[in-house]
Amino acid sequence: MRAYLLSRLAQTALVVFLSLSAVFAMVRLGGDPVLLFMPMDIQAKDVNEIRQRLGFNDPLPVQYARFVGGALRGDFGESLRYRRDALGLVLERLPATLLLAASAVLLTLVVAVPLGVVTAVRRNTLVDHAGTLATVIGQAVPGFWLGLMLIYVFSVQLRWLPTGGMGSLAHLVMPSVVLAAFFSARIARLTRSAMLEALGEDYVLTARAKGLTEPRVVAKHTLRNSAIPIVTLAGLEIGQLLGGAVITETIFAWPGLGRLTVQALLNRDFPVVLAAVFVISATYTVINLLVDVLYGWLDPRVRLR
Amino acid sequence: MRSFFRAVIALTVVALAVPALAQDRVKSKEIVIGLGAEPRTMLAVTIVDWTTNNMLEHIYDRLLDRDPKTFKPVPMLATGFKIVNDTTWEFTLRKGVKFHNGEPFTAQSVKATLEYALDPASKSHYATASYWGPLKEVQVVDDYTVRFLTKQPWPNLIDHASLTNLLIMPAKALKELGPAKLAEKPIGTGPFKFVEWRRDERLVLERNTDYWGGPADASRVTFRFIPEFSTRMAALLSGEIDIMKDVPPHAVEAVERSGRARVRSTVSSRINYLALVNLKPGPMQDVRVRRAMNHAVDVDELIKAVLKGRATRMCGPLAPANVDYAPVECYRYDSARAQALFKEAGVEPTKLQLTLDTPAGRYPLDKDVSLAIAAQLQRLGIKTNVVVNEWGTHLDKIKNRNTGELFFLGWGPALNGQGTIQPLFLADQTYSSYGNNKVIDEKIARAVTVMDPKGRAAAYAELQKLVHDEAPWVFLWQQHDLYGVANTVEWTPRADEKVWMYDAKIVAR
Amino acid sequence: MKAWLGIGITLAVVAAAVAAPWLAPVDPLASDFAQGLRPPGALGHPLGTDQLGRDLLARVLYGARLALFIGACTVVLTAVVGGLLGLVAGFVERWPATALMRLADVQLSFPFILLAMTINAIVGLGLRNIILSLSAAGWVVYARVVRGEVLSVKERDFVQAAAALGVGRARLLFRHVLPNVAPSIIVVASLQFSQFIVAEAAISFLGFGVQPPTPAWGSMLAEGRDFLYVAWWLAAFPGAALALTALGVNLLGDWLRDTLDPKLRV
Repeated sequence: MRAYLLSRLAQTALVVFLSLSAVFAMVRLGGDPVLLFMPMDIQAKDVNEIRQRLGFNDPLPVQYARFVGGALRGDFGESLRYRRDALGLVLERLPATLLLAASAVLLTLVVAVPLGVVTAVRRNTLVDHAGTLATVIGQAVPGFWLGLMLIYVFSVQLRWLPTGGMGSLAHLVMPSVVLAAFFSARIARLTRSAMLEALGEDYVLTARAKGLTEPRVVAKHTLRNSAIPIVTLAGLEIGQLLGGAVITETIFAWPGLGRLTVQALLNRDFPVVLAAVFVISATYTVINLLVDVLYGWLDPRVRLR
Repeated sequence: MRSFFRAVIALTVVALAVPALAQDRVKSKEIVIGLGAEPRTMLAVTIVDWTTNNMLEHIYDRLLDRDPKTFKPVPMLATGFKIVNDTTWEFTLRKGVKFHNGEPFTAQSVKATLEYALDPASKSHYATASYWGPLKEVQVVDDYTVRFLTKQPWPNLIDHASLTNLLIMPAKALKELGPAKLAEKPIGTGPFKFVEWRRDERLVLERNTDYWGGPADASRVTFRFIPEFSTRMAALLSGEIDIMKDVPPHAVEAVERSGRARVRSTVSSRINYLALVNLKPGPMQDVRVRRAMNHAVDVDELIKAVLKGRATRMCGPLAPANVDYAPVECYRYDSARAQALFKEAGVEPTKLQLTLDTPAGRYPLDKDVSLAIAAQLQRLGIKTNVVVNEWGTHLDKIKNRNTGELFFLGWGPALNGQGTIQPLFLADQTYSSYGNNKVIDEKIARAVTVMDPKGRAAAYAELQKLVHDEAPWVFLWQQHDLYGVANTVEWTPRADEKVWMYDAKIVAR
Repeated sequence: MKAWLGIGITLAVVAAAVAAPWLAPVDPLASDFAQGLRPPGALGHPLGTDQLGRDLLARVLYGARLALFIGACTVVLTAVVGGLLGLVAGFVERWPATALMRLADVQLSFPFILLAMTINAIVGLGLRNIILSLSAAGWVVYARVVRGEVLSVKERDFVQAAAALGVGRARLLFRHVLPNVAPSIIVVASLQFSQFIVAEAAISFLGFGVQPPTPAWGSMLAEGRDFLYVAWWLAAFPGAALALTALGVNLLGDWLRDTLDPKLRV
């Protein structure tokens, strides 16, 4: 187990390092960042002086070496726009995004898994068709559109929920629903197909033959066996969930990592972009590691190596 | 177990309650403002950014203010000033003013603030040539008299001292705590004190009851940062915010209809123009073509049809909101005249293929205006390809002279002549589109050093006439700034885009 | 039922896109200020007009062309590149293949939309670049799926037999392995298609991607959102068209998977 974790950690470090190098190369090929954080009446000589001071005039390998040296010490430099430690700026936003993602996952588990189970057990009934239709639509409706509609109905018309920002539990409702919508649809469909597969297995037939009641069969035998693919996919989809958070956070003015990243990209605030890439890929790999550990618990046959 | 459930229920009820409803805010005298962007720092005189300074000015005072109507300098922390000689200015300071931490305001504060800004270690944007670069030294004469010595005659000093470029920090605190601590918890002399800044979310300020100008009506001011216009609008209509910046012209009616808020508008000092680029080869090298373009674009129609009347036409490079403004005659919309001018220049409009670069969402309906201009030019047979750029790319293109023959840009707040004419009509400037005109070059070099107000007015009037005749732009308009203001707030917007809450009053309705 | 619905919707969208020049009453770029913001049902404008008086129906129809074009180009590009890489990686199994799959892992550790958006922000906006960005972010899925399939197909008897008979590697790969992997590629492609067009819309919505005045649904939605309180139709119709297309293609993809490759999980 320890050897496994160590090798996974080494791999993770490599993955994160490669992502950062790739993004570093890409941002340096992009436009001039100096223009975007300086006032418009700046004179050409001042622009050049600032480029010089920030090291943007140095040869690329030198800049890269400096970046790697800093990154190894956890120093991604200072945000060009906000004049603050870039990593600190990013880490400050991480809890908000994790809260949003966690509540979306929770909502998904509460809604999607039961939906998937019910549609599988009641296959080809009206419930199944309605449920399937709902998931297919859930997958097709763009999140940003859903978000705007919810704000219009629940904030402007009914005034039940705040339009955006972070604060009370009420602020969390609409962003989580929007973020969970697409995710739930995927998970519900996956649960359904995994359940269908499991329901056809021999041991289920045996269990039935033993005279176990159907709810017991479903709960004890099939659901646990279906859990593995569900957890796998959920783990893989966490990355997409973080991606979805970009849009949700922008619409609901949620002070999270996704919104910061989009802004940093638009502002060419490269230290922040790199710090965000670091935090996002690290978060994602850690979550996947946890998913792997969860396997062992779900299925004792899986030995981590 | 029962008590646990009770606690959970109580917590849920508290959590679900939407905080600070509009009605409660009237009682507690609170105002919430919805802005599209957050401040970049809480440290004064470091980052040049109008939005940042707008919020900082509630905490920090300047030496001088601007009269919101006449734009003339009026007293603030300085009660008066005089020009001792061409390179020496003397300011008399207000007595009895205290910083939020109790430190008295004196000439030392002014000196310390500027020395911080000019210190290379501070990496302040204000140390650059366009800001406090021309300043040589600050001399303390006595506690309430301070002198500014400049490297060369610099008439614009007064504009810098009265805009947002000089927010006075406490000398002692700056020395003892250092800039990093002041960035976390700013200490000024302003009408509001800093409470908290939750990044990407809100900035909260509370009333300074000891303010030298008397306490503000609002006891608490919250700036909320809501990037999406539609979300900001929803927040206004649902009563979560009281003032909303940048209502688009087409949404005015929806705000008025809501019964909760009205639209307050002002003619802004920010100008919009269509550059006719002569810094690269092409048809815009010819002044006749540039004039023809001015006759070919129907500015009044653009204002009426695209901006719903929410703009004020400009005829030259400066707007009446500018202290150095002098009137010039407008180019009339006249397609026959345009045709004639094209013919004179030997240009066949139907064979003309132009590219127009425009940003999207930076200025009111910028992209739509650009598309509408292309449609108007089409009436003369001119084909115009509109290229919509992301803002950073737009700036890159202008700086590297990579735009098409035309580009759309806004400039401002443009309150003095130098700030517009110098950076936009000289070839070596970062964002200029026109230059290499010897006469204009010389006149600009002279105008920026004229200390005598009458001479300065004459110099800028002459420049405006020259620029008008050279037609480096299709002169468009001054933007109108539109704000949604809740019925419970009385507040008048200003031409300099400052959302200044010291002036706001909260009323029960 | 689902299959027919999927095929029906997809065909309808394709037909609308192909026939856009005949179905649309006017040029989608032609503006007429006097006719700005007309509600649906206005004379000559069944879906109304936008702020510049451009016909919304025409824009939505031409938008279908663009969406399908972007989706198709991206899917083909990713399928060919990702599929080939996966094929080779599965067949060769030496260090370059391992390195390639590590690279795929690196990429998968980053949210798809965020990755495509980052690439797009750097290479620049516009139609060609959004296709390239989406492809650069999307090829990984094929590489993974195809490699997995190849690894299992390779062990099957007929491939082993062919190899034993001395069939060349290239021939083996393309004649014997590829046909057996093709169904997976088709299924993945159909499932990716809608992801690409929705992602394109989302990226354009955030200010990157395809820029106006090109009538792409994503940028139309971004424009329409600012008019939400005055002209609901500007965001409603492009949004509905996008959702409907995604729905149709998804259903089609499901059906393809059920028929061609029921075991595949993407």
